Amino acid sequence: MNLKDPDSMNLIIGNVLRYGVLISGIVILTGVLRLAASSSYSDTSSFLTYNPNTIPHSIFDYSLNGLLRGLAAFNPYSLIELGVILLIATPVSRVSISVFLFAAERDRLYIVITAVVLCLLLFSMLVTPFIPGFHA
Amino acid sequence: MLLLEFTLILFLVSIFAGVFGSIVGLGGGVVIIPVLTLLLGVDIHFAIGASIVAIIGTSSGAASTYVKDKVTNIRVGMFLELASTSGAIVGAALASYANSPALELIFGVILIFTLVPTVMKIGEDVPKSPDLKGLSRRLRLTGSYSEPNGSVVQYNATKPAAGLVGTAAAGVLSGLLGIGGGAFKVISMDLAMKLPMKVSTTTSNFMIGVTAAASAGIYYARGDVNPIIVAPVALGILIGAFIGARILLRSRNPTVRKVFAIVLAVTAVQMILSALGVTI
Repeated sequence: MNLKDPDSMNLIIGNVLRYGVLISGIVILTGVLRLAASSSYSDTSSFLTYNPNTIPHSIFDYSLNGLLRGLAAFNPYSLIELGVILLIATPVSRVSISVFLFAAERDRLYIVITAVVLCLLLFSMLVTPFIPGFHA
Repeated sequence: MLLLEFTLILFLVSIFAGVFGSIVGLGGGVVIIPVLTLLLGVDIHFAIGASIVAIIGTSSGAASTYVKDKVTNIRVGMFLELASTSGAIVGAALASYANSPALELIFGVILIFTLVPTVMKIGEDVPKSPDLKGLSRRLRLTGSYSEPNGSVVQYNATKPAAGLVGTAAAGVLSGLLGIGGGAFKVISMDLAMKLPMKVSTTTSNFMIGVTAAASAGIYYARGDVNPIIVAPVALGILIGAFIGARILLRSRNPTVRKVFAIVLAVTAVQMILSALGVTI
């Protein structure tokens, strides 16, 4: 594939998005099927309790360790969480890859624009949750 | 309610939300939030967490088709993402100090005002394309796409600075409340930058995933992304977005505008009611 061909950018970005949603969809579906097998007829109320006084506000474990342990045990909630993380990562990958695609087109202005967007995005996603005073 | 029942209802509603969200470029939260809070009795925080996931799903799911078909303008999207991501950070920084209901009221009223020019343009097929000059020329904010009848529409963007301001407002709203950004993105491209309606909604659709991802970290860390809720939402939304993208490519600009005007009116009313303390 010739990366200087302007059409290749549309094709590559389109594929990054397509495979991103496909993989995350499959992982989430696996989690749902595991959940359906174990607790289809459970009541939802215990899962849906919102507790404003604890972090996290729900009963699920969102820590990295919890996620890894859950995945090792093929836990349905952990599979769904992994799928959701992959889904959230899809637009981030799209922006990251765009930096290289504009570089292949030698489009300096857009290399800078896209790189700045990527930095702002990563800052907002990963840093602002830990800055006191952000996000009331 | 039984888990099975809850999951099925949410799955079906999300397909519907994905179809509409991908056509109008807003992402489907408009449908999912009221169904979760009013019909299923879910806390608004979980509803917003689910809406963030729904927006990312609609955006990525439909954009894969729109980008390959070149109806989305990638350069316009990347350029405006400068404003939407900055806006999201500003919104997050303001969240502790801002009076959210007052801001919601202001944004809601602005949306009501934008309804007038949006409705006035109903019937417009392709806007008269301005010459490519100034900043638009430097940023190469131009493009072309094919209509279903085979005709190729060539267009140029105008007033990129105005587009940037409108998109920044969209970002602030997303960062502040987690919702409502898409409408301002479409309006910025439609009313300020004079892009064809389908280019505006699909480029907004392309951008909303990035804006939502910018706010996703905090909702995830807080535990507002509830697996029981987001699983059927994500799966339904992806299927809906796949269907919606195919419908949009076969539709003409006036049809897309009509659907957008209706969703815009609903969004504005929702925002104003929410400001007045009625959560829907």
